[in-house]
Amino acid sequence: MSKNAENDLYGTNLSVESMKVIAESIGIGNLPDDAAKELAEDISFKLKHIIQDAAKFVHHAKRTKLMQSDIDAALKAKNLEPQYGFQSAEGLPFRFASGGGRELHFIEEKEVVLNDLLQNLNAKAPLEVSLRSHWLCIDGVQPTIPENPPPVAKNIQKLESVDPINKKPNKETSGKPTTGKQKLRNVETVQIKQLATHELSVEQQLYYKEITEACVGSDEARRAEALQSLASDPGLHEMLPRMCTFIIEGVRVNVVQNNLALLIYLMRMVKALLDNQSLYLEKYLHELIPSVTTCIVSKQLCMRPELDNHWALRDFASRLMSQICKNFNTSTNNIQTRITRMFTNALQQGDKVPLSSLYGALEGLSELGAEVIRIFILPRLKSIGARIEMHLQGPTTSNIDKIASEHIKQLLIKVVAPVLKNLKNPPDYVEEYKQEFGYLGPALHAAVVKARTQPTPSTTTACNISTSLTNVGATITRTVSQPCQIIQQNTGPQRTIVMNQSGRVANQINNQKILFVTQRPPTPGGSVQPSSQSQQNTVVKFVSNTSTISQQKMITTQKLIQGNQPPVAVVQKSTFQQSQLKKADQMQPPTVDDLSHLM
Amino acid sequence: MEKSQLAAVLQILKKYNLKGTEELLRKEANLGNNIADGPLQQNSDVSSVLTGYKSDGDPETYEDSYMELKRFVEGSLDIYKHELGMILYPVLVHMYLELVYNGHTEKAINLMKKFGPEQDSYYQEDLRKLALVTKRDHMNGNELTDTFKSNQFIIRMSRDTLSLLKRHLNDKKASVLLNIIQEHLYFDMYEGVARNKSQIDATSGAVGGEAKRQDNKTKVYYGIPKAPDIQALAAPVEDEDEGGEQDNPDKPKKKKAKKDPLFSKKTKNDPNAPPPDRIPVPDMRDHDKYEKVKAYREASKRVTLGPDYLPSVCCYTLLNANHTVNCAEITEDSSMLAVGFSDSIVKVWTLVPQKLKAMKSGEQLEDVNVDVEDVVVRMMDERSGETSRSLYGHSGPVYSVSFSPDKTLLISCSEDTTIRLWSLQIWTCLVVYKGHMFPVWDVKFSPLGYYFASASYDRTARLWATDHYQPLRLFAGHFSDVDCVQFHPNSNYVATGSSDRRVCLWDCTTGNHVRLMTGHKSPIMSLAFSVCGRFLASAGVDCKVLVWDLSHGHLVAELTGHEKPIHALAFSRCGNILVSGGLDCLLKVWDFTKLTEEISSEEVNVSHNPDVRIGDDYLLRSFATKSSPLISLHFTRRNLLLAVSMFDGVST
Repeated sequence: MSKNAENDLYGTNLSVESMKVIAESIGIGNLPDDAAKELAEDISFKLKHIIQDAAKFVHHAKRTKLMQSDIDAALKAKNLEPQYGFQSAEGLPFRFASGGGRELHFIEEKEVVLNDLLQNLNAKAPLEVSLRSHWLCIDGVQPTIPENPPPVAKNIQKLESVDPINKKPNKETSGKPTTGKQKLRNVETVQIKQLATHELSVEQQLYYKEITEACVGSDEARRAEALQSLASDPGLHEMLPRMCTFIIEGVRVNVVQNNLALLIYLMRMVKALLDNQSLYLEKYLHELIPSVTTCIVSKQLCMRPELDNHWALRDFASRLMSQICKNFNTSTNNIQTRITRMFTNALQQGDKVPLSSLYGALEGLSELGAEVIRIFILPRLKSIGARIEMHLQGPTTSNIDKIASEHIKQLLIKVVAPVLKNLKNPPDYVEEYKQEFGYLGPALHAAVVKARTQPTPSTTTACNISTSLTNVGATITRTVSQPCQIIQQNTGPQRTIVMNQSGRVANQINNQKILFVTQRPPTPGGSVQPSSQSQQNTVVKFVSNTSTISQQKMITTQKLIQGNQPPVAVVQKSTFQQSQLKKADQMQPPTVDDLSHLM
Repeated sequence: MEKSQLAAVLQILKKYNLKGTEELLRKEANLGNNIADGPLQQNSDVSSVLTGYKSDGDPETYEDSYMELKRFVEGSLDIYKHELGMILYPVLVHMYLELVYNGHTEKAINLMKKFGPEQDSYYQEDLRKLALVTKRDHMNGNELTDTFKSNQFIIRMSRDTLSLLKRHLNDKKASVLLNIIQEHLYFDMYEGVARNKSQIDATSGAVGGEAKRQDNKTKVYYGIPKAPDIQALAAPVEDEDEGGEQDNPDKPKKKKAKKDPLFSKKTKNDPNAPPPDRIPVPDMRDHDKYEKVKAYREASKRVTLGPDYLPSVCCYTLLNANHTVNCAEITEDSSMLAVGFSDSIVKVWTLVPQKLKAMKSGEQLEDVNVDVEDVVVRMMDERSGETSRSLYGHSGPVYSVSFSPDKTLLISCSEDTTIRLWSLQIWTCLVVYKGHMFPVWDVKFSPLGYYFASASYDRTARLWATDHYQPLRLFAGHFSDVDCVQFHPNSNYVATGSSDRRVCLWDCTTGNHVRLMTGHKSPIMSLAFSVCGRFLASAGVDCKVLVWDLSHGHLVAELTGHEKPIHALAFSRCGNILVSGGLDCLLKVWDFTKLTEEISSEEVNVSHNPDVRIGDDYLLRSFATKSSPLISLHFTRRNLLLAVSMFDGVST
């Protein structure tokens, strides 16, 4: 007897008002109230009747959505003329208008210019229906192929990780039949408790091997394919723990080895996994976050900090971190709070923190949004400014520190200026800025003034990240907020990571062997290094986005330098297996990452 | 035929000015002009066929009497309470209609608003439809009110409950109530204990109440007769013979010598099979026999499915077909797929490497040697092979297609009210069967060929033969659209499922209904007979699969799990597995052996519906497709499951 139930039974009727409006529209000026009421009732009854009938046609067309054609068919069955001229593939777009105490729902009807229709005789033909076959299941096991839905839907994965109590004991998963004959034999061998064994099929093992090799291998085209697969394949759920372990171990080893290229590849794998719509990574965040953090704040990420563009890695990893925060932050895990705290701690340690880590912490914070910048970065601008001033202006600093300081300065100006612009009211005074922010004051002032004069400032960093992160490749050209681009020399030692995967991957997780092959030019390193270094000092420059020509020039000079180098050979290590050696031999030495994909 | 009925027919003839027919009928029925005044007298009757509702009862008393009845039901003993509760719904409906008919709209709406929502959930949909009716005019030609008016609502009740009710009615002498119960309710009494709520719920829900015991008393020959003797043909080749005769592929070879006696013994043992000549079937042609042998041989390679051997499923997905595919069907030998589209086209695909060939032209056919063995192959034009062919002819959405067993004919039905027979050799329409006046929802070829059955919006199902342009039988009795139709494997019976939520089994020879089964709560969209012929599975909009035992017409199991309407059901060739597929993009595999074993071990009480098995016990596995609703399921001869689905790109 609730109101809802009542509404259920009787529903709504057309209003008398509607009748009058419709009557007006066909030229009947003043419809008497009684007539309108009578009409409204009758028409409501008839309409409902027709819709009820139309429902039959919906069922028989094996749909759940009522369409225009169903109404037509119902009218036809009642020997009424169908409504010609209505064509709507989707639901009718009802518009709402109110005014003068009256409310009105209507369909926006556009005037159709018949001439246009007549001239465009070649209307787009609908695609022809085609037939495609695939295995939905084989002997009761559903293969994880793109044609089938992911074995564990994302929302179930989420439920499982957020609320484990809710997890139902699945008696029928897509796995192997539980009552098969082979299983019976398993029962005979003593098995007290059904352990959750995550066996990978042979195909999955092969896939894992291929993917991990491609991801850290030297072939960029293959890597792109592998990452694409990681980002889109639906059936990776079962392999996820192994993938994560691979990434974590990889980061752990390569940070020690200062192998920038591999760290970048591993971060790209993280990104691909984050982008995969069918995966829910929450269960693995406790492993992934430290790895990503390492790539942001580690003291040293590359062999030659003064030359290599480890900044791009830090930027990229920071964006990953903000994506993680955005996707997985809940009131129970407080990821964002914890990460913010972690970065802030780095800032608070003052001069003890290396400049590169400081840069990472600042970048990490700034990716978390304007509010974070305002609260955690602004108050420290002065002290940071003082510190980098020392390195930039002081006479005795090393080249490395100088570059780092310059990076920090650029970063701060880039991220703080938009925040200050919103925070402070014009006019801006240089003195005031100097007072408040010390060394960075004048530069910030200039940036803020510049931002104010630009009519459409680039959107806040937070937004920008989200767009650029969803599709790194595509947005390279779109990101305008990047003030500078770093170009670096492609020489120096490179490493390849080769995984020993002769056995079953399933049993290997704990004793994975990671072998490192160092590939060096046969010429004594000492003689090459200094000369290249001297070149580097001239080459590494900040090139502003506007001067693309000079940038291109520099790239070509680089290529020339590369071309002049002697061929690279492999230095054999004694522990290395013969077969793998061959493989390593075939592999081209990885050209140290073309960092453009990270921008 | 009764006189009054004749008079009504005469009146209609007069109305449409069919004088010739009218006179003929008069002559045949030996009716003089004495009935001439009949029409006049009846005129008022036909225009207001609702005299049953003519009542001068005080509109004020209705609500009170209903309250009174409700109080009585609630106050009675727990064992009788639920059975008594069954009368509340029909009483409410008839009170409402009576009030509406007599012009007390206000009172009627009040009554409905007050008591409508507290009826069982499965009645809500009908109540909503009834609530539309608020004027006497609305009752004219309204399907639901007509049904209530012209049919008694059937309630099964134990003797004790019924006597309790009668006593109460006698005591109270509530004229309104008494009138309604006498006029519109029929009590089908049985001996025994009163049923409980779940038992009642299992079989109620249909328009017009439950099935009477009388409805399910006729003997049904649900057995499968012995396969036609194809020994003569197969004799020359020894192992073909064996393949043909061997009904059970598991049979060890050493019994080969004894197989003939064994075989005949087996037929004698199946007392439920109809005599082979119960319905006339055209003789088998040589080609049919050849095909039959092939089928047997294929069947001997069949895998026996079960919980340990789950089927493999090959899914055919129709792409670029958003909301345009209405139906699909695969031939018995799994070589072709036919799809009916909403834009009136029927399209046939080949699923095997052999292309779809057309017959040679007339002149070329003259050159073909008729006496050679492979004459059929030679008749086809080798160069005309195509992987898919379209059949144009319908002028409305095609709702169902069905292949003839010999794969040379295809039958299709459409919203344009016609049924078309197509040749799959010359790829044109051969016959248009016009008979239904309204959209035809379903059509099925008989497993023996020659006959086909159709189901329509006009509330009838019809039995046709391909060489007759008029139906052979007209199965009338459903209160609403007949949504689906299915032939019994022995071709002697036709099952129909309807929007009145009843499943009916009709005898092809007599045209009478022999089983009437209630229990569905929504329109029925799909039917499938078990391989043994004893069980019938039905499913529909209420997302449940119900399994019926045809020997007594009992509901034996209710398989729940789907979340959207089910449109496809299939039994594996070995009969061990039942699969269902629905719009929720799920394919569910059910253990049918377990179900039948449990049923046969149980004692069957003829008068009483056994307890209905509910739950997931029988669910073996559930497979999801990627946003592709399943529209058809088919087991190949080797027990590979073929599923047809259409990819719904919009919903993703």
